[in-house]
Amino acid sequence: MAEFRFIGYLAEIVGKREVKIALENPRKLRDILGIEFPEKRSIVLINQHVGNLDSLILNGDNVVIIPIISGG
Amino acid sequence: MKGYAGSILRVNLSDRKISKEEISEEMKRKFLGGRGFAAKIIWDEVKGVDPLSEGNKIIFSTGPLTGLPLPGSGKMVIASKSPLTGGYGDSNIGSMAAVHLRRAGYDVLIVEGRSETPCYIAIHNDELKILDARDLWGKMTFEAQDLLEAKHGKNIGVLLIGPAGENMVRFANVISQKGRAAGRTGMGAVMGSKNLKAIVLKGTRGIPVFDEEKLKALGKEGYADIKGKENYDFWIRQGTMQVIEWANTNNVLPTHNFREGSFKFAEQIGGYTAEKIKVDRKGCPNCNMQCGIVVKDAENGNVELDYENVAMLGSNIGMDDLSKVAVLNRLADEYGLDTITLGSCLAFLMEASQRGLLDTRIEWGDLNGCKKVIEDLIKSRGLGEVIFEGVRKASERIGGESKNWAMHIKGLEISAYDCHASPGMAFAYGTSPIGAHHKDAWVIAWEVSTANRFSYTKEKVEKVIEHQRWRGGMFECLTTCRLPWIELDFGLHWYPKYLKAVRGEEISQQEIFELGDRIYALIRAYWVRENGGWSREMDCPPSRWFDEPWNQGDLKGSKLDRARYDEMLSWYYELRGWDENGIPQKRTLERLGLGDLALGLRENG
Repeated sequence: MAEFRFIGYLAEIVGKREVKIALENPRKLRDILGIEFPEKRSIVLINQHVGNLDSLILNGDNVVIIPIISGG
Repeated sequence: MKGYAGSILRVNLSDRKISKEEISEEMKRKFLGGRGFAAKIIWDEVKGVDPLSEGNKIIFSTGPLTGLPLPGSGKMVIASKSPLTGGYGDSNIGSMAAVHLRRAGYDVLIVEGRSETPCYIAIHNDELKILDARDLWGKMTFEAQDLLEAKHGKNIGVLLIGPAGENMVRFANVISQKGRAAGRTGMGAVMGSKNLKAIVLKGTRGIPVFDEEKLKALGKEGYADIKGKENYDFWIRQGTMQVIEWANTNNVLPTHNFREGSFKFAEQIGGYTAEKIKVDRKGCPNCNMQCGIVVKDAENGNVELDYENVAMLGSNIGMDDLSKVAVLNRLADEYGLDTITLGSCLAFLMEASQRGLLDTRIEWGDLNGCKKVIEDLIKSRGLGEVIFEGVRKASERIGGESKNWAMHIKGLEISAYDCHASPGMAFAYGTSPIGAHHKDAWVIAWEVSTANRFSYTKEKVEKVIEHQRWRGGMFECLTTCRLPWIELDFGLHWYPKYLKAVRGEEISQQEIFELGDRIYALIRAYWVRENGGWSREMDCPPSRWFDEPWNQGDLKGSKLDRARYDEMLSWYYELRGWDENGIPQKRTLERLGLGDLALGLRENG
């Protein structure tokens, strides 16, 4: 299983804050998401390393997608 | 030049003399407004004085966009020689007071001297009165706001202090509209030292602009642009409270006195929890993306929450219940205390207590203990006395190794981002012109989104300077809110357009950057003059981030590298045209049109 977390309004786009998906083969994050994502306004972290929507995701990966925000 | 009310109003509380001065065209061009005006006035007029003496002055300064129908234009800068840091201090606030000051016909209000008895200033267009405030003295800010509105009507702008400011707690703030705050650097203590409880403003005039129709059209377009952003609805739901989850995920959420960057109970103090106890929203005038989430606290009070307050009074002190965090936030607002410094001070006490360095115990997350400290703070007794002047002085008092975990830079407590694994953001704090605050350069999202989060590069230094030019220069001078830019991707190209419609003159990016550089050199020169010199250590974060790696979380073991940080500092000084000790060079000052400052620096060592 790969684990996905979506932070802030990105969770609204996906409709869930987190989801687990079993992947038979490595797949591009973009294909797994299957929806339009604000790519330039998002940070993709795969196992705490910076990735992107074209990164390949494997079972066991922990993926967090985070919007650019600043907090005050 | 259009776009300015045109004058400075000066009030001396010692001899009750009131005067008006015209703002020169040169001043408008070189310093633009807001922070630019304030820093220049402070350089010229506040020399070598004790910040709490009669000789200090407090400047309420607006810019050419303040109060106009544009996104985030309800802001003003409050500046003075800081009683917390001893250097240049300022803080901005979103308040109807900013709008009314401009509508009354003034860009800047300077208050100097000291009243013999408690007073407040009431301004209604050309009329200014210094009124008796003995019946307001001792009142909490929320009650005082109500009393002033009952007397002067609801359609006013009010800036006031609470008991903290009256008693000159060094991190007392200026409050408006029950929760809006000019929080940082102790501006409330300066008002208190002058026996000035409040300023009440009412302006009914128009603000002269170059092309009113164009401005209205551009303003309308700007508001529509913001409202059309895909994250707008979520922003309205959670405001900056969504940043708790963001910061925790990125391991930058200050936890247990900045010892760690993640908090086990982050969800319980985050945006989704805030939505459950939310009763309203609150924001600045002329804003269509209000950031304040008003919640019901554990004692049934209403209070406005924002990220910084909640991180500092939540995870940083080990408080895991948002409704209890909200109680502390409300008390800070009512007493008139900076929530960021308060959170740092409470965490400092808790750590000192844990280490057995205090006679009185206070545990992590202890609400009643915190409430007692706040009460004692106002009376300067017990643990309140220990933190009365902030964590720098508290660590000098306790001694030993406590300076290593007194989390401040230049005497100003660090705001709510832990930087064990963010050298660029640590550097932004280190070089902030008021001490450790994020408003000038917020590079952390950029930093964690790059593959080089842990690197120390010239590119990071350049990014910090770029932010300092936009945020610390342009936004602080306009004076408009910086949040639309990053939070809602509102383009920077809007601001030169607004300025053109308001002032009738083009302003290029190069001119904006030069303005930022000029103000940075001016403020640094002020620090150097008042401090009697400078050293690189003044631009460095506390030892904790260098010497005590994280014990937990995904990035366990992370810490900063002192030598590589120092290398960034060398690049920074070189790019800014400052010498190896961080002092602006004569040729730099001359290039920025500040040649006369060089003499002032030499005269004062």
